[in-house]
Amino acid sequence: MIQITNVIKDYTLASQVYRVLNGITFTIPEGMLAAIVGPSGSGKTTLLNILGGLDSPTAGEYLLNGRDVSHFDPDEWAHERNHTIGFVFQSFQLIPSLSARDNVALPLVYRGVPARIRRIQADEGLERVGLGHRKHHRPAQLSGGQQQRVAIARALVGDPPVLLADEPTGNLDHATGLEILEILRQLSEQGKTVVIVTHSAEVAQVCRQVIEVQDGHIVTNTLEMEQKV
Amino acid sequence: MTWSDGFSLAFHGMISNKLRAVLTMLGVIIGVAAVIVLVAIGQGAASIVSSRIETLGTNVIFVSPAAGTPFPMSETGIIAHALPFSVQVVPEMNTGGKVSTLSTEGTAQIAGTTSSYLRLGGISVAAGHFITPQEVSSAQHVAVLGANQALNLFGGQNPVGSSIMIMGQQFQVIGALNAVGQGPGASQDNEIFIPITSAQPLFGTTQLSQMIVKTSSPSQANLAADYLTNLYTNELGSSSAVNVASEDQVLQTLQATRATFTNLLAGTAAIALVVGGIGIMNIMLVSVTERTREIGIRRALGATREDILLQFLLESMIMSLSGGLIGVVAGLGIMNLIPLILKTPAVFSPSALILAFVFSTAVGLIFGLYPAIKASGLDPIHALRYDG
Repeated sequence: MIQITNVIKDYTLASQVYRVLNGITFTIPEGMLAAIVGPSGSGKTTLLNILGGLDSPTAGEYLLNGRDVSHFDPDEWAHERNHTIGFVFQSFQLIPSLSARDNVALPLVYRGVPARIRRIQADEGLERVGLGHRKHHRPAQLSGGQQQRVAIARALVGDPPVLLADEPTGNLDHATGLEILEILRQLSEQGKTVVIVTHSAEVAQVCRQVIEVQDGHIVTNTLEMEQKV
Repeated sequence: MTWSDGFSLAFHGMISNKLRAVLTMLGVIIGVAAVIVLVAIGQGAASIVSSRIETLGTNVIFVSPAAGTPFPMSETGIIAHALPFSVQVVPEMNTGGKVSTLSTEGTAQIAGTTSSYLRLGGISVAAGHFITPQEVSSAQHVAVLGANQALNLFGGQNPVGSSIMIMGQQFQVIGALNAVGQGPGASQDNEIFIPITSAQPLFGTTQLSQMIVKTSSPSQANLAADYLTNLYTNELGSSSAVNVASEDQVLQTLQATRATFTNLLAGTAAIALVVGGIGIMNIMLVSVTERTREIGIRRALGATREDILLQFLLESMIMSLSGGLIGVVAGLGIMNLIPLILKTPAVFSPSALILAFVFSTAVGLIFGLYPAIKASGLDPIHALRYDG
């Protein structure tokens, strides 16, 4: 469960302060498939970075699974990401020099999991996304869809309760994008909280909760509307 | 991240670009090998000095005139009478000159001296005999050859009884010496000894090169040196007109010079190591830039800043340590070849090895630190967006 209250984010550029997020408040319940949508520059990627602790809010409160993480330092966040958050990126962000298996096992390295167990868990993860036969391939030897599956396997390998996806279908053709979306939808059904940042209406349509951001404000949150009705 | 993961990560980082790693290590390899080899040469030179002290003893002093100070044969008696204890005083005059037999010719250090020279020690006769007092008093044209001169002029043959030309005059060879080896200053191996009375007309002077004074103990030698210094300072009004030095002092000076020489060589080699370190820093900075995205990915997946710092620091340390190891092996190899190639002894110094090793590790640590800190301080958001 993700709860943020009155989150503000300011950027200073050439001694000029820009407010990117201006009092964002929302709740994404556990097991939800949620989309954060909005035009470029609306602040949706900044919002996702704050949810993942890669960026810190200027003000506001953030409760992650009931714990206040608003004032975590970078290393507390590193630990938090390692245990509770899986990332999926638009450009996959696999390490080119590592095999699919080693890429998937990467989060476990920073948990101190022994190499032998890492290998077993990474192979299981690759099987689950249908890439059991591509363990030893480097990212460059895989198609875009396959690379994104490897990235999803990597996000899931440590069994985190939250998955954050930044335009996960943005670099894929339409059919492959739908396949990836279906994997994410299934994961939310299995109880993971999945948050997708996207500007695609088609992707948003699949999600039960859609949060629309514009100029640093939330303009619509379908879940709240539902609850009001 | 566990230590073993950290090491394997750093190792894979290094071998993923082998040529670059080897070129980067080259600086450290050369530096470490240079420290070991150059210190070995320096120590080898110093060992000659100390072995010379052991064989010759230190109860000998040298009295030599400065240029312009008259120093004839008669000084022998003055010196002998000036000292309150009995000493051996051996006069010597030296010059370089041409020598030849019927079939060969060369150059030699010609030393005119007396029969007492043999009693100074340090040389021994291999064949024939040394110059006798009779041959000195009657100014005979006889010569005793140092080991190298005997070999050069007569091959392996016994030279005793043969004739040679020294500076255009005929001499008869009456003896040959055993080899003494290279020492500080000229070696007797390259000398030819003739009676001092024959040397005077041959060299065209009565001026002595030096007087060698042998006492019965090192403490007497030091005392004699003080006496003679006073004597000449009072007589000639200057302490520099005649130079009085005990063998001890000469060797100490030589040894100090050699120590300075060794330190200088080690210092030069240390500079090479520092340059090697700069090479490592340079390539690590490139590596950090190239792997900016990777750093961002690792941070996003849960690597702490410390994990990233460790990854890059270990990589630079493994690189410089491997360089250090290869350098030690190369250095020891070259060190063993030195006596064969340069004909000078090389003495292995464990402290140089430890120093080189500690230094190369420190180089990896110090020059790896800045790139590693830079890597660990990268903002993960910017790092993930980096287009390398």
